[in-house]
Amino acid sequence: MLFFQVLFRVLQSSDLWNATLGFAALLLLPALGGLISERSGVVNIAMEGMMLTGAYAGVMSALATQSVFGGLMGAMVAGGLMALVHAFISINFKANQIVSGIAINLAALGLTNFLLFVQTGGQGVPSLKDSLRLPNISLGPISHIPFIGPVFFQQNIIFYVAILILIGIQFMLFHTNIGLRIRAVGEHPQAADTAGVNVYLVRYLCVISSGILSGLAGAFLSLGIAGIFNSDMTAGVGFIALAAMIFGKYTPWSTGVACVIFGLGEALSIRLQDSGISPDLLSTVPYILTLIALVGLIGRTTPPAADGVPYYPGSE
Amino acid sequence: MAAPLAAATASNVLTRVRKILQSFAGPIFAVVLAMVAGSIVIIVTTPGSIPVRLSSAAAAYQALLYGAFGNGQNLSFTLTTVTPLILASISVALSFRARLFNIGAGGQLAMGGMTAGVIGFELPHSPGWVLIPLMIVGGAVAGAIWGGIAGFLKAWRGAHEVVTTIMLNWIAFFFTDYLINGPFQSPHTANQTEPIPAQATLPHISDFYNHTLGTFLPQIANPQQYIADVGFFFSLFALVVYWFIISRTTFGYEVRVIGENPKAAHYAGIPIKRNIFLVMAIAGAFSGLAGALQLMGQFPYQLIATTFSTQSTGFDAIGVALLGRTTSIGVLLAALLFGGLRQGGTYMQAFAGVPGDLVYIIQALVLFSIAAEFLTAIQRSLHRRSISRRSGLSPSVIAAAVAALPGTPADREDGALPESTTLASSSESSVSPIEED
Repeated sequence: MLFFQVLFRVLQSSDLWNATLGFAALLLLPALGGLISERSGVVNIAMEGMMLTGAYAGVMSALATQSVFGGLMGAMVAGGLMALVHAFISINFKANQIVSGIAINLAALGLTNFLLFVQTGGQGVPSLKDSLRLPNISLGPISHIPFIGPVFFQQNIIFYVAILILIGIQFMLFHTNIGLRIRAVGEHPQAADTAGVNVYLVRYLCVISSGILSGLAGAFLSLGIAGIFNSDMTAGVGFIALAAMIFGKYTPWSTGVACVIFGLGEALSIRLQDSGISPDLLSTVPYILTLIALVGLIGRTTPPAADGVPYYPGSE
Repeated sequence: MAAPLAAATASNVLTRVRKILQSFAGPIFAVVLAMVAGSIVIIVTTPGSIPVRLSSAAAAYQALLYGAFGNGQNLSFTLTTVTPLILASISVALSFRARLFNIGAGGQLAMGGMTAGVIGFELPHSPGWVLIPLMIVGGAVAGAIWGGIAGFLKAWRGAHEVVTTIMLNWIAFFFTDYLINGPFQSPHTANQTEPIPAQATLPHISDFYNHTLGTFLPQIANPQQYIADVGFFFSLFALVVYWFIISRTTFGYEVRVIGENPKAAHYAGIPIKRNIFLVMAIAGAFSGLAGALQLMGQFPYQLIATTFSTQSTGFDAIGVALLGRTTSIGVLLAALLFGGLRQGGTYMQAFAGVPGDLVYIIQALVLFSIAAEFLTAIQRSLHRRSISRRSGLSPSVIAAAVAALPGTPADREDGALPESTTLASSSESSVSPIEED
């Protein structure tokens, strides 16, 4: 079987695993963002739109400030602002959070294309020069360990940031006061309110965090991986992240594992092109896995109890 | 005797008219607000002095309107967008009636279009009268299966339909791309299929008219410039079917009961699981139909890779269904508006230099406005202010008065909200279907 020979060869290359972890980090940031938001009880299907906004704002502010750092800041602020709109509509106006999320995605698509056209006169942005891109960083001597070095320690700077954020969120959610409050607000806001937790504030902060993380991922995509902004360049990454979050059962560690699995699929789909298996078919795998997980064949996924339910202060 | 009776009827009619007008107020307010906000976007982003900016906004909107409905040809372009949009919107609207959220119209449409295409490619020599019905039914069945999967998972496994339909969308997009790039790829060009057989295409309305009524009535000159196809009539017929299902069948009645009060439906012995499955399957059939008719009615009559995933019909349909308040007539009007915006946007970009992507922003604002019920919120705050001005009451009394208003949070919380604790259970008001159809 030619296919298995190719697969076997590809699986041994450190390139593949390096790319896998790169994709995983790209998925992990919005997935963790969504996780935080949903843990606090606000459904967020708008990571796609927030990423796209971040990707655009990242490139534009990197060009304007002539610094990568400026680009990163711009991306996170833009993602956070989109999330702020979602929070305002969902929390204050008690809107349907799915509708609001769809609106954010549409608005992001329209806004980035519109501004891209207006700001560049329909020309599109040029490729960024290297000094404006997020650098790959080799971590000193450990990056020369055979196989492990190239896979783990020659990654983009955002990869290391994503790992730190993963550990940070896991710790925060389950080992700190703040995490307890977030989970309480997501499971039983009335009880949390009675105990003196400011439900609105917690939800606002969580939704905005999801926007900041998604914006960061957008910057990773445009300033790091691609080095350019293209119209609709997220192309569904935000939805794979959503799938990863659900597949990971709304917990950080498992979401991280899900991101690696989905990242492997993505990396394989590029490298297996000449083996006769369709990259399009491989791309369906994350979604099929998530469906199976939802149905309960790999342990049932249950969202937080108050996920998607607006909170009315003073209600029973 | 007659006078009071007439007065009573008149007041009945008045109440009814008022009710209808009220149901229009929210959607119209949403559209106006979005249009105003859209013009602000143009004014802010156009260079030049204030009068220049204002006039360019006016020119852009004029082009938008003209491009959408300005002449017969532009209208025919708009109708080609409206046809699949109406069908996908019925799909979303029907599921809303059962308090289900079908985000999967896009994927169901893709499966429907693909299946219709495959039937056409596999039976290239069959006559049109065999192929056309076969492709239409095939598309609807494929959509029904795709929607039915989500319905089945919801009814018997409790998997939330929002999440499953998002997953099913992307599976459908990539799977159709695989078929288009693989087994059914054209031998001449990459990333697309061959056109479907010529006898399987639907005629343009103009040609159809010239060959039927036009034989004894005045002919349409230059019929080839009006590209709207007879698929539009299918979509109008589907609206009638939708109205009939919802308001004239037992199934429709059961669906509405489930949507408005699941508990009551349960106690009344309505088979909830079976109906959830059926609603999603029928909704999927409408979307699948949209995909089939889109392929059969419009140039280039072929399937092209990644068009399903980039086409926004499935999401536009959610806006249309909400804006049209899930009624047949509302869906028709809202689909004409959204389809018109889409076509007008292209025209606006070409002739007024304002990017057509503005239309997405306008649509998003319409969605925000409907979802957040800005109009109700404003009315409520005005009401609150007028109470406090009139009598100078203390805040606590005002709070009590506000709580007594219909549609206020305290009131709504007594409804079905507490039980709907699963992911993304809808906040009633924004998607709740209204009584009269």
